Amino acid sequence: MLKVMEIPAARAARSWPTGLFGGEVMSLSGLSEQEAKEFHKIFMTSFIIFTVIAIVAHILVWQWRPWLPGPNGYTGMIDTLHGAVQYLVS
Amino acid sequence: MWRIWLLFDPRRALIGLFTFLFVLALVIHFILLSTNRFNWLDGPRSAAPAVTTAAPQ
Repeated sequence: MLKVMEIPAARAARSWPTGLFGGEVMSLSGLSEQEAKEFHKIFMTSFIIFTVIAIVAHILVWQWRPWLPGPNGYTGMIDTLHGAVQYLVS
Repeated sequence: MWRIWLLFDPRRALIGLFTFLFVLALVIHFILLSTNRFNWLDGPRSAAPAVTTAAPQ
């Protein structure tokens, strides 16, 4: 079966713009694949650390003052995980 | 997933991301400070100021 990218016209239409460096294919951002992978590794590590800190902060704030009032307002609210599970199951 | 950095310039993406997150954080913090329940600096505003202003006879 013929793959789309084996058709020269299709390949030309889908390829990135060619750069100045001997017709070498350039990415839109100017990064090489190696650079993109390297940056991605740093980015994902930072993103995960940021997310973990945010999750911990949210848990602490929920313990201090939960922000979703129940049907009876904040006084009759579900403020524990156990209560939330019971509410969802019932 | 790493191919996203072939499309978007990391420098512009990071500046945009940091700006967005900073503004979002600022907005959320000010909204929380403006509420009664979640103001962590002053606590809830007193509900009945009229009582405190009543002058003794």
